[in-house]
Amino acid sequence: MVTTLTTPQTNTWADVFATAKGAVYQSDADRCWYVDFAGKVAKFDYRCLLKLKKAVYNVNIEAKLLNVKDPDVEIIFICACDHTYILTLLQIIALKELLEGTFVMLQLNSILQDRLYRIAV
Amino acid sequence: MKDLIRIRSLISADVESLLNQQVKKEATSSSIYLAMASWCNRNGFDYSSEYFFKQAEEERQHQLKFYKYILDMGGNAISPDVTGIKQEYNSFREVFEDALDQEVSVTQSIKNIYARCLSEQDYVTNEFLNWFLKEQREEEYKARRALELFEVIGEEGTGNWEIDKHVGKIKYDSEA
Repeated sequence: MVTTLTTPQTNTWADVFATAKGAVYQSDADRCWYVDFAGKVAKFDYRCLLKLKKAVYNVNIEAKLLNVKDPDVEIIFICACDHTYILTLLQIIALKELLEGTFVMLQLNSILQDRLYRIAV
Repeated sequence: MKDLIRIRSLISADVESLLNQQVKKEATSSSIYLAMASWCNRNGFDYSSEYFFKQAEEERQHQLKFYKYILDMGGNAISPDVTGIKQEYNSFREVFEDALDQEVSVTQSIKNIYARCLSEQDYVTNEFLNWFLKEQREEEYKARRALELFEVIGEEGTGNWEIDKHVGKIKYDSEA
């Protein structure tokens, strides 16, 4: 599920990762993430966030940079999500950086949860 | 902050992707064996045809095991596209050479998933894969034994007819 909201309700959201171009927040109550990027905040559940990651990672940035006829518009369409991004190549690079950082932080969170609460020592 | 990803799924996105690739590999294997069964039947090798029908069914069962495991662990199982299956073979022997190649490829692929799971300490999936590793011992043995028949019997005279008869009798009953 993807929903566009007008204002981020950061009081109930935890910061996951942020760059100069955008940020990702997690809502434990809604069990979802909010991606603040390209002028809007969009809600992503687990499946859709993985699909967004896959769609962005699949863009061949190098090939597009080398292609002089490239229209510099990339449509990130995510199946079964009611949301689409229409981005320039620079925005794709920024979104990829944001998602890379996000998934590293989510993995780090998982490791911390393991160490602090889950693993018997 | 809750660990939402772990709550949702036991397996990581990478392992899920590898398992889905394996689903496709098993589905491809099943289709290849079906094509082999057809070729053998058309060319008068009825015992081998029956052997490949059984193999096709086994591969289908393997595919479903992977498929259901992905779903049970909270992942997204993807029904694969299977295209470009070879339908014609130049010789009876070539069918069995391809069958062994296919089994070797499946074993290597499962070993690769196993290594990936070990590296991220996904022992649950490793335990699941143990059944397949044991199964591959049998699959590779049978495919290798079938090829061996071409050496020990020979294709001269009624050799192929004799080989076909023996293919139907290949069994693996090691207790090891």
